[in-house]
Amino acid sequence: MIDDTKPVDNTYTVENIVDNTLVISTPPHVRKKRNTKGIMGDVCIALAPAAIAGIVFFGYMAFIIELVAVLGCVATEFVYFFIAKGGFANKCKNAKATCLAWWKQFDLTSIVTGLILALILPVTVKWYEVLIGSIFAIAIVKMFFGGTGKNLVNPAATARVLMLLSFSMTVYVAANVGAVLEGGEVLTSATNLNHLLNESHLSQLSVLDLFLGTGVNGCIGETSALAILIGYIYLCVRKVIKWWQPLLLLAVFGFCAVLLSGFYFDKYKFDIGLFLPHVLSGGAVFAAVFMFTDYVTSPKGVIGQLVYYIAGGILLALLRYLTGLEVASFVILIMNILVPLIDRYCIRKPFGYVKEKKHKEGK
Amino acid sequence: MKAVKGKYFFGGVHPNDRKSLACASPLERMPEPEVVAISTLQSLGKPAVPVVEIGQDVVCGELIAKADGPISSDVFSSICGTVEDIREEVAASGAIEKFIVIKNNGKTDNAHFPPLSSPTPDEIKQRIKDTGIVGLGGAGFPTAVKLSPRTPVDTLILNGAECEPYLTCDHRLMLEKTDEIVRGARYIATALGVKNIIIGIEANKPDCIAKFEPYDDIKVVILKKKYPMGGEKQLVYVTTGRRIGLPPKLPADSGVVVSNVATAFAVCEAVELGKQLYERVLTFSGGAAANPKNLWVKLGTKVENIVNYCGGAKKKPKKIIQGGPMTGVALSNFEVYTHKATSGILLLTDACAAAENPTPCLNCGKCADICPMHLMPMNTEFYALAGDYESAAKYGGTLACIECGACTYNCPAKRPLMQAIRKTKAELRKMGGPKK
Repeated sequence: MIDDTKPVDNTYTVENIVDNTLVISTPPHVRKKRNTKGIMGDVCIALAPAAIAGIVFFGYMAFIIELVAVLGCVATEFVYFFIAKGGFANKCKNAKATCLAWWKQFDLTSIVTGLILALILPVTVKWYEVLIGSIFAIAIVKMFFGGTGKNLVNPAATARVLMLLSFSMTVYVAANVGAVLEGGEVLTSATNLNHLLNESHLSQLSVLDLFLGTGVNGCIGETSALAILIGYIYLCVRKVIKWWQPLLLLAVFGFCAVLLSGFYFDKYKFDIGLFLPHVLSGGAVFAAVFMFTDYVTSPKGVIGQLVYYIAGGILLALLRYLTGLEVASFVILIMNILVPLIDRYCIRKPFGYVKEKKHKEGK
Repeated sequence: MKAVKGKYFFGGVHPNDRKSLACASPLERMPEPEVVAISTLQSLGKPAVPVVEIGQDVVCGELIAKADGPISSDVFSSICGTVEDIREEVAASGAIEKFIVIKNNGKTDNAHFPPLSSPTPDEIKQRIKDTGIVGLGGAGFPTAVKLSPRTPVDTLILNGAECEPYLTCDHRLMLEKTDEIVRGARYIATALGVKNIIIGIEANKPDCIAKFEPYDDIKVVILKKKYPMGGEKQLVYVTTGRRIGLPPKLPADSGVVVSNVATAFAVCEAVELGKQLYERVLTFSGGAAANPKNLWVKLGTKVENIVNYCGGAKKKPKKIIQGGPMTGVALSNFEVYTHKATSGILLLTDACAAAENPTPCLNCGKCADICPMHLMPMNTEFYALAGDYESAAKYGGTLACIECGACTYNCPAKRPLMQAIRKTKAELRKMGGPKK
């Protein structure tokens, strides 16, 4: 490197320009500054309001869960990097170099996974359950498939599903029937979502409460729509996600939910007033902004994305009513598995493409 | 005519154009170099066949290599001197080309054709063919071939977009030689028998737009500043609303002919002065360039001479580029000679040159979002890495790719998408096209 601080001879003639530090590559020779790490950093920042809101509403336990999940994810990735590829003994010998190499390739994706995982868990979950979930998310869902960009399904959603199935006594109950600890007592009242889905067509809580997250039972990051909205706006401004993606999903989901609600409880009455309670209850907003929009597990092309978000919205409303549970993670999992198919068949036609006419005979 | 705004096209990127580096420096004539080495491959298609012998004296503008076949162009000596050598050498593009080396003898004679006054369309076409004019925008397609379209055309579009960052040679040319460009465009229009002349200029060159507005027969279209606005298909769509079909369709199939402003200038000189195409304007610029300039450079000038003439570099460059930064060729040394289609020599510093290592693809789809051809570059790269080039072309749409490089520019994972696309195209060509 030549430093600019020496003003003695600051012109370079042909003889000292050409050396082996010149880079030869295919064009383009200029590139955008944006990189993977920057994008993931933006997602972390966008998740921060929801994480803080969780701590405000659910106390220090929420913070501990977030911490355990993030540390668990990062540690798992580090350990995996240490063990996999290139010989364990060899890496132990050059521990420092290995750590540096890991740090160099560390792209914040595991922090994002850990944060999302923590935010979709209820505060009653045990810390070791969170740890198991984060190890599963990173080691099995992400790293076994090849690391960043190669996982087939969303690690956080998959881990959440695993926990829901394995430790259903805590996670499942808390997420859906509402067992938030308050002053050492378990509140047995149902969550708003549970109420909406299983008991009546009316919302227990006002829309404002649901929007702000005050007095709402639910998972750490999912209760306050306001915090998620701030994150959403940040993501849109930084162009990490396209602004219409979560909105499309939520709109489709809301309408389907309203329709189904009329079908289930009200004898085909269509009450648009239920739109907002449905959208704001449970984890739909969080999932739409942070989990459906996950780059790796969503379609690549615009047409595929349209299909993905519309289908996701319909499926979410349907499954919610069929099961009477919050099923956002399951829907994400199902949609993720469909993505390779969507990608294969939803390809935009090239610019200037004209439909080929059938060959006429004799030509 | 009063300037109008062009249509909108989806896709494209907005690189920092850094045109301010060189756009203020007026055109300047570089002194004739001691030695020139002129490649016989100056256009798309076949290389020309040398018609001079070693030791022969040539004057400026004398034919030294004859076009071989219809898609090929005549090559002329750019200086007066003696043919020293005819040798094969690896050119900047990596291909082996035949170079005719001419040593300057300091004379100032020239072998220009007699000027044409009030020429007929056929005379103009013949003159353009005789003077070896090729598209000076970058691809170097022989202009004479363009002027004999297989379908009737009704519009001539002049490309003054110059959407590549750093390059300002067309900008300066439009500013200083406005009248010649307009006359050249009229000659081309006469040769084609068309009445409509449209010139598309990017919005970042308001001075050029103002220069062209007084001409009544020229419609000025203001283009949004965006890369690749100067791509043929994009330009035709933005200025006329017509879409050009996928290859092998040509603009002429949609009734338009696209020509660069520099080409129009060359046509004007060819018709009015009888001057052969043996020099062109190029931009010397870049973050490391000591004195960015726009130069008239003789064909076959060594890049080393240009860099030395412009005072070398003020910082250590990371990349040396022949052409524009989005589509040009990175050079490993200065033993390279300018071509008819060389539009710039750029010295890029560490800060602005792309030299990062790729990280895993995130499937973010940013390459597909900005693809001006609406393709899926990530699919091409995915399948090309696996060696399945047919799937790469099928799911990535590679064959429609115009190789603008916007996808690679935009990729946050710094994937070498363009490389994969070129590899796929080359492999398919080797296999004789994809299976139907």
